[in-house]
Amino acid sequence: MGNRVAIVGIGQTYHKSNRKDVNQQEMVGEAVRAALADAQMKAKDIEAVFTANMETFENIFLPDEMMADEMAAFMKPGLKVGTGGTSGASVVEEGFHFVASGLFDTALVIGFEKQDCGDTTAAITAAVTPVWGKGVATGAIGEFAKQALTYMEKSGAKEEHAAMVRLKADKGACRNPYAHLRLGLKSIKEVLDSGYLVWPLRFLDFCPQSVGACALILASEHKAKKIAKKPVWIADVITVHQEPFRAGSFGDPTGKEEYTQDIAADRLYKRNGITNPIKDICMAEIYEPSNWEEMSHYEHLHFCPKNEGWKMVEKGITEMEGAFPVNPSGGVIATNPIGATPTIRVAEAALQVRGDAGEHQVTRDVHTALATALGGPNWTVATLLRRSL
Amino acid sequence: MTTEKTAEKKPEYIKVDIARPRAYRWSSGRHLGKLYREALDNKRLVTNRCPKCKELLWPPAGACGRCNVEAGEDWVAMSDKGTVIQYTYLVFPLWDPHYGDRLANPYPTATIKLDEGVFLVHFLEEKDPEKLKKVKRVQAIWKEEGRGRGLADILYFRTIDE
Amino acid sequence: MAELMADRVEKLKDLDVFVYHGKIYIPNTYTAGAVGSQFLIELRDNKRIMGTKCPACDLVYVPARSVCKYCFAQLDQWVEVSDIGTLQTYTVAGQRNGVQPVDPPIIYGIIQLDGATTGLVHMLSEVDFEKLVIGMRVKAVFSEKRVGSILDIKYFKPLA
Repeated sequence: MGNRVAIVGIGQTYHKSNRKDVNQQEMVGEAVRAALADAQMKAKDIEAVFTANMETFENIFLPDEMMADEMAAFMKPGLKVGTGGTSGASVVEEGFHFVASGLFDTALVIGFEKQDCGDTTAAITAAVTPVWGKGVATGAIGEFAKQALTYMEKSGAKEEHAAMVRLKADKGACRNPYAHLRLGLKSIKEVLDSGYLVWPLRFLDFCPQSVGACALILASEHKAKKIAKKPVWIADVITVHQEPFRAGSFGDPTGKEEYTQDIAADRLYKRNGITNPIKDICMAEIYEPSNWEEMSHYEHLHFCPKNEGWKMVEKGITEMEGAFPVNPSGGVIATNPIGATPTIRVAEAALQVRGDAGEHQVTRDVHTALATALGGPNWTVATLLRRSL
Repeated sequence: MTTEKTAEKKPEYIKVDIARPRAYRWSSGRHLGKLYREALDNKRLVTNRCPKCKELLWPPAGACGRCNVEAGEDWVAMSDKGTVIQYTYLVFPLWDPHYGDRLANPYPTATIKLDEGVFLVHFLEEKDPEKLKKVKRVQAIWKEEGRGRGLADILYFRTIDE
Repeated sequence: MAELMADRVEKLKDLDVFVYHGKIYIPNTYTAGAVGSQFLIELRDNKRIMGTKCPACDLVYVPARSVCKYCFAQLDQWVEVSDIGTLQTYTVAGQRNGVQPVDPPIIYGIIQLDGATTGLVHMLSEVDFEKLVIGMRVKAVFSEKRVGSILDIKYFKPLA
């Protein structure tokens, strides 16, 4: 199973729409220094450095090459990881594997994206086969819009439920100083009045384009026990990839396909003795690109039965004070620097396990947390964190 | 190159706007090549079938990813009629990197299941949001000129009464 | 834009393979950041070449950088370096590539300015390629019109 690995340092930038005061490399440096300070470690203590970024967004080819100095990687080994939207979680998995192998004692993993430097939808729209999808793609948004419509039709969820999810996210974001969109939303009506982006998704239903970086420092068991007061153990990481669904990338209207979220959850829970997810796990930071997707993911991750995700929302189960809090940080819908987003999910889940999430710390005691990532086409990386193994 | 000067004592940050189209030469390969050939010459969509699971692959490919076998040359011509499974339309314009234009409102696209065929994503002719809700049966309308671009040889799918 | 993005389809003889010639156009922006901006602003406004110094490692980075790669210290000490330096190496680019600042042939050199530890890549002019010698002393020639770009230095020329 590999040696034990813990997260001993967590750092992120204050995520924003625009950061003209730094270039991409300096932005990463901020997150790295924050993680080193949190771990009370020095740059020379890091043995390998791993980065995750979706290059087409900033059009900076080989970004890791240009930031060896800012990411404490000078003369050290490491890799850049690219698995689409899940890159930021795959980079955690990569660092985890290096340290779990016993060959490295420490690793620094960084997810980053400087989206004020590019046009995200254009880049995603360009990610289709050059001739194939040319002219008919509407980026990821078009796919999520169709998802939302299908979810409404199949589960009976209403627009009000999606709005409730948005309010929950904003409440969390307003208590999270690092979050990007901190809107102070007061009512369902405010969300429903926000105007359509791609029908039926409204502006407030979908995640923003953010600028930010998130860094985690991983350490082997004997190192972690020496240097960290509150190590957060990575109990397990699982990745499930698949081809695009025959009927679209993110959603399957045929009802015949298997979702990677279901499979990842099944395998992860089985391997870790989890039989009742919302009891055995204390909270989750999931990758929800839209509020509609969040409700759908509750079902795929087995937090509730099929077509009942919206009921969890109605009953307030996933609120910060609820029985099974989901995304108290504000989630992806409040903050989405794509390369960093999955890393932020792991970081936020780890902060909850440590009890260090400040104003957005959930009421329930967190000894076990789940962090998920989503990438195209509908890939999943799921990470399970524990206070003790 | 643009610079931003803000009033007194605020730091000035320099940024460079880069707007350069990047050229590419993309080879279709044999399988997509056949699709393009049939669309260009015969105004029809073809694809191949996996010998093991018997599912039609889309797009036509050399291997079936689910069975991990070579897909072979069992080619099928598909109907150009289908049913709309789900649709959406743009309200807020998006940037299209393929033509360097803003995609305008409403730009309706749909996931369409071709009769005895595959699911594909394409445009709908119908632009009225109210009427879009009722569109069920559609048929491909092919371009008369300028074909040779595979799926893009279909202009859009028109609503039909059936 | 339509002409710029015009595509064409090439059918390969005797093969059912098409080659599609197209373009992708995703506009983007590069931000120099606070340190990079200050370096460029000094070129533009004061015709001064500035570097950042790492006191612990006793070295000066030109163009200015925000962090020392050896000791990871954040650099906030600015020093002016000379506009005269030593040519460390050079080459000439004969081929056009669409992203060059001037028409080829272009002579590129790495110049270590007096006071800097690093070399600076720039163009050389007012000299015959055959007459270039490693170790030559060269001096920066600034552009008349400066905008906050590395090209505010027009090129380097041999010190007479």
